[in-house]
Parts: sequence; structure tokens; C-alpha cells
Amino acid sequence: MNPYPVFAEGYYKFCLLIALSVIASCTSTTVDEFRQGETGITSDETVVVLGRRQASDYETRSEFIDCVGEKMGRGDNALNIIPEQEFIDAMFPWFEPRTAPLRTQDLAKLMAEDVVADKMGEFGIRYIVWVDGFTETSGRTGSISCTVGPGGAGCFGFGTWEDDSNFDARIWDVGSFTNVGTINTDASGQSYLPALVIPIPLIARVEANACSRLADQLKGFVKGS
Amino acid sequence: MNKLLNKTGLAPMFALLLANCGVNNVVIEGQFPTPNISKMPVSVAVYYDQALRDFAYLEYTETGSEEFNIESGASHMELFNSITPAMFEQVIFVESMEEAQTAGVDAIFAPAIEEFQLALPAKTKLDVYEVWIKYNMRLLTVQGDYIADWVVTSYGKSPTETFRTVEGAINDAAVVALRDLASTFSLSFGDVPEVRDWLKQQ
Repeated sequence: MNPYPVFAEGYYKFCLLIALSVIASCTSTTVDEFRQGETGITSDETVVVLGRRQASDYETRSEFIDCVGEKMGRGDNALNIIPEQEFIDAMFPWFEPRTAPLRTQDLAKLMAEDVVADKMGEFGIRYIVWVDGFTETSGRTGSISCTVGPGGAGCFGFGTWEDDSNFDARIWDVGSFTNVGTINTDASGQSYLPALVIPIPLIARVEANACSRLADQLKGFVKGS
Repeated sequence: MNKLLNKTGLAPMFALLLANCGVNNVVIEGQFPTPNISKMPVSVAVYYDQALRDFAYLEYTETGSEEFNIESGASHMELFNSITPAMFEQVIFVESMEEAQTAGVDAIFAPAIEEFQLALPAKTKLDVYEVWIKYNMRLLTVQGDYIADWVVTSYGKSPTETFRTVEGAINDAAVVALRDLASTFSLSFGDVPEVRDWLKQQ
């Protein structure tokens, strides 16, 4: 016989809530790597992660690029990462959306400019990682209604949606002006928003997971492992 | 928060609450780096007319009421102040055409804004704010005759973001458009046929 029935009931409810959160926040992530050349990096060489911003209907978010760069720059196998905005500002106007090289041949032409080659040398750039993609939300269903009265306020209802992140990373070797590989990350997850007096958001961390997995894969790829 | 509001259907409620609150003023502010390019061996006086100094664009709602007043004259001047000294060997900024004519320079540069367009996600149904600007670039002799007169367009967009105001998103899109102008103008200046011919004569 349980001597603490109230505690046990509360405990099980708590566990149920945690389990529900975990299930609700589940994200599935797939990473595909395609290697086209040998890689490796020395301690005095750096990597810059840049977002592609040429598409007309979406934009690779700078927050995602910052996240990938930050994660590549810490932990095991950490790399020397140049922050995106610092690099773009220093290279201005050569890496703006309209002027940035789209192919490795364009990079070779760009490096023929002394000012560009000098700046690249100052930064010690060995690899440029071009990230292109976005997170799409679909399947929004449900509704929540909130009311405010003299006795208080509250919401009731249920909402759910699915987030799908798809990001492509192309790795350019600045030394040989070649594309040494491509990594694709696809993550998806279902989020829920039940509201019983107060809304309880159970958000799937889709983009955060895509960032984490892509950064880990890029670190290994650049190191040549 | 914006995404959460959209997803839960609360966005229209807030939009209704905020409707009819009057025009929102957006003063474009941004940082513009100095271009890394080779300087052209000419001296140029830069003149901003009053229309550019005071440039503002009014965006209207679908019902015809004023929605956003976007002031970008000061940021345009800041941008040209930043890029022209990197493009030309010597640059002076003048307050009038008369002052430019007595400054002993090779040419006078007088930019003008011809058109400004804004596209909001609520109207385009895209997840981006867009700004499009059309300029008339004028390069004049000290006597006031045209050396070259050409059109440059610039485009900037910024994605819809959590915890970012519409005003902030418009500002970001405009700053991207201004940087686009700076890159296009500084890299293509010497390719304009009339400018190229003039540069050869200097």
C-alpha cells in the first residue's frame, strides 16, 4: 500500500506531462552528406558560414547561420569560425546578395581582385560554407478562444501545426576553388498548443535541431573525418 | 511571438485592435561599411538636392488610409557619404550647385530617388518584407551639363521574425536595399558607357 497516495498521484501527473511534452516536441532529423573532395584544416585556418539570399520568396535567416557558426566554433573538434556579418561587412561590396559568387568559378574570378584576396588572407579563410534553406509551417489546425470577465480570464481550445526545415550546405575550398561537398539537413516536427485556462505551448524545436545536426556534420566534414 | 499569434489565430484580433491607430513613422537607420574597391583618379563634388534630403514614402492600406511613413533621406545621404570617398580620389560634399561649380572638381555627382516601393507580407502573402528603390544617378560637368544620366535599382528583403516589429522589419529591408544600391553603384559606376568614356579622358 502506498503511504503517500496524493504525492504519488501528483508524481504520475507530472510524469505524464513531461512525457507528453517530450512526445509533442519530437523532431525527426535526416542528414545527407555528399563528399566530392578531400578536406582538412590547420589551426591557423578559418571557416565562414554564409546564408544564401538570392531566392525571391524566402530568405535564409541570419539567426540560423549564426546558430550553425556558433555551434561549429565550440565543443569537440571546434573550428575557428568568422561571424557572417563581420565577414560580409569586411568584404563589402563583394558578398552582398546581388554580388556574391554563385559558383566556384565566380569565386576564382573574385579572388583575382587584390582587395578581395588580401581580405581573405587576413581572415585566413580556408572554407566557405553556403547555407540555403528555410523552415516552413504547414497543417495548422484547431482554434483557441480567450475570454476576459470580471471574475478573471482564460483560454480554451487546441491548436497544432507542423514545422519542416530544409537546409543545404555547400562547402567551397578557397584554396582550390572547388566545391568539396554538400550536406542536406531535413528536420520536421509537430507542435501542439492545448489551452485549459492557460495555453501550454509544446513546441517542436525543429530549426534548433536542424542547426545542431548540421553544425556537427559540418565540423566532421571539414576536419576530414 | 508573431508566428505564435498567427498560428493561434490571435493575429487578426490584435490587428483589429491596432487598426485606425494612425500612420506609423519609420526612420531608416543602418550601418554602411566602406567599400573595398580601387579609387578612380578623379575629384568629385557630391550634391544632395532638397528632394533627396527630405525623401519620405507613404504606404497606404487597401482602404486608402495612411499606414507607414518611411523617412529615408538621411540614411541615403549617410550611405553616399560612406561610399563616394572610397570610389573617388577626392570628394567634397557641397550644399548647392553654385558651391560645386567653384570647388575646382572634375565632376558633380547628384543622385536622385525616382521611386520607392514597399511590399508587406499581409499583402503579398510571402514571409518577407520587401523594399524596391529606383534612382536616377547624374554625373555633371562643373558647368552643369550632363556627362552621364543613368538609372540604378536596388532591392532588399527581410524575413518575418519572432519578436520583431513591422517597423523593424521594414527598416531591415530598406537597409538591405541601401547596401544593394551601394554595391551595385560602386561596382558598376565605371561600366556606364558615358562614364567610361569620360574616365578615359581624365
